[in-house]
Amino acid sequence: MEELLEILEEINPDIDYETATALIDGKMLDSFSIVSLVTEISDAFDIEISPKYLVPENFNSVQAMMKMIETIQDEE
Amino acid sequence: MSITSVTFILFLLVTVVLYYLIPGKYRWLVLLASSMFFYMMSGVSNGIYILITALSTFGSAIFMQKIADSQKLYFKENKESLTREDKAKIKKKNNSKRKTLLILTLILNFGILCVFKYSHFALEQFNNAISLFGAQPIEDTMKFIIPLGISFYTFQSMGYLADVYWNKISAEKNFLRLLLFVSFFPQITQGPISSFEQLGKELFDVHEFSYKNYSWGIQRMMWGFFKKMVIADTLSPWVYDVFENYAQYSGITTLIGAFMYSVLIYADFSGYMDIVCGFCEVLGIKLTENFDRPYFSKSIAEYWRRWHISLGVWFKAYIYYPIAVSGWNKKLGKFSQKKLGKTFGKTVPASVALVVVWLTTGLWHGASMAYVAWGGVNGLFIILSLWLEPLYDKCKSKLKIRENATWFRAFQTIRTFILVTFIKVLPEVGTLSEGFGLWKNIFTSKIIPDSWQTLLPFIDNIYDDHSLRTINVVIFGTMLIFITSMIQRKQPIRQFLGKFPLIVKIAVFLVMFFLIVYFGIPASGNAGGFMYAQF
Repeated sequence: MEELLEILEEINPDIDYETATALIDGKMLDSFSIVSLVTEISDAFDIEISPKYLVPENFNSVQAMMKMIETIQDEE
Repeated sequence: MSITSVTFILFLLVTVVLYYLIPGKYRWLVLLASSMFFYMMSGVSNGIYILITALSTFGSAIFMQKIADSQKLYFKENKESLTREDKAKIKKKNNSKRKTLLILTLILNFGILCVFKYSHFALEQFNNAISLFGAQPIEDTMKFIIPLGISFYTFQSMGYLADVYWNKISAEKNFLRLLLFVSFFPQITQGPISSFEQLGKELFDVHEFSYKNYSWGIQRMMWGFFKKMVIADTLSPWVYDVFENYAQYSGITTLIGAFMYSVLIYADFSGYMDIVCGFCEVLGIKLTENFDRPYFSKSIAEYWRRWHISLGVWFKAYIYYPIAVSGWNKKLGKFSQKKLGKTFGKTVPASVALVVVWLTTGLWHGASMAYVAWGGVNGLFIILSLWLEPLYDKCKSKLKIRENATWFRAFQTIRTFILVTFIKVLPEVGTLSEGFGLWKNIFTSKIIPDSWQTLLPFIDNIYDDHSLRTINVVIFGTMLIFITSMIQRKQPIRQFLGKFPLIVKIAVFLVMFFLIVYFGIPASGNAGGFMYAQF
């Protein structure tokens, strides 16, 4: 979680990620941020995020992102 | 069958009556029968292509699902004996089979689309290339009738297939249900391009008759007919007169023509969406929305998130993300970060994906270099704004501009509307050089209009009573679109109307009906000929 928060802070430090639950639906993160985020997460967690995971539900909150990372880790 | 014709209204009426007469679980069969009837009315022979798409998509998805299901079962039955490496090997082998199926089906379906849409364009480019070496051009004798809605149903079907490939959804096991998803008549000619997850649920759920859905649906259809038949069909000959004759017109007349085009295409396309979404609402079916007040956008990127939304979502899901997060692009991003700095390097994977997306979007809209350039210009603005964002933020901070200040938001909105208008007209004039010629004429024409007739030469007998009334109705209609958009910021327009007494609602309905009948039909030489249907 800490690692993910650090990555997010670097992308946009003005967002309170711990409480945000609509990062995509609330237009706080756009598709450019998602692309940067995917690269950083892939490197940090050593996973391959396929395009099928790139849906708003997986990026709306830190918790959703962690859940997605765990799912991919389980699959791999 | 023209969507603004009486025949179509009768066809809708019969569909609605049959839909609600039949028991809930069979209602989708009425929609399938209506969709087949509607499609066959455009030419029986072209039905073969939509059947090929539906059959190939259905078969391929079923095979992919079978492979995935067998793998799951095998893993479950051999849970104890299989090692992690064994599982990885099996997964790799099965994924490769599924990928082959996906690629073959994509080639088949996009191949059909390309043959119909791009053969003339490809031959033209080939002839241009060989003429550089002095070779004789090949005569273009190809004659195609493009199957109705081929761009829309191909994209929708291939999106479904990719979703099955990615295990986002399970393959549909009933061919007739998939055929309905591919051919659903309200969206076949101009979209929206929907996902199976969303539209499938709407089509196959049981919807009971509701007065609210019926009333709201009819109101939305009326608004759509008004936008299409009164505003778009009246503006259409005026706009195309300017596009054809701009060289003889003043700069201000050309500029008026360009802005009229922005109103025309919005009224035409969103009018169609209102008609079909309204009709589906009567059936209790919610279609994906394609517009979110796009002319109120503050940047080109935002505009494209609010105009033809379903196409943007499709490109984002199936072209932009797969390219932007692909292994080679990520490597390119890292290399760029090392060589060009972290801030700029980070934008490289997204920029590469955007170039592909926008050139493809251009080609999707039309098989000409003018459309490719149009896509390129849109992409260029979006990529430049991505690159220049840090600089832009610095400028705003130095000039102490508050992002939320009303004047600044208004400035951004007006600036975006002007830019969008200039970009929009580029491919519509004809060739690319004619498009640039129109831009040039706006700023360099030496003609000065000295009367209303020379300012607005595209209107015959401008002082005639009917012409004056028509101009007033178009201005009134355009203002009405603007006002309704302002109201929609706070609440849906029909919710707003619902607060008024019944007599006011009836009056609005009657005025709208009168305007459609009086101004719509006589002004509409090509009623039913929607602009986006050509794509």
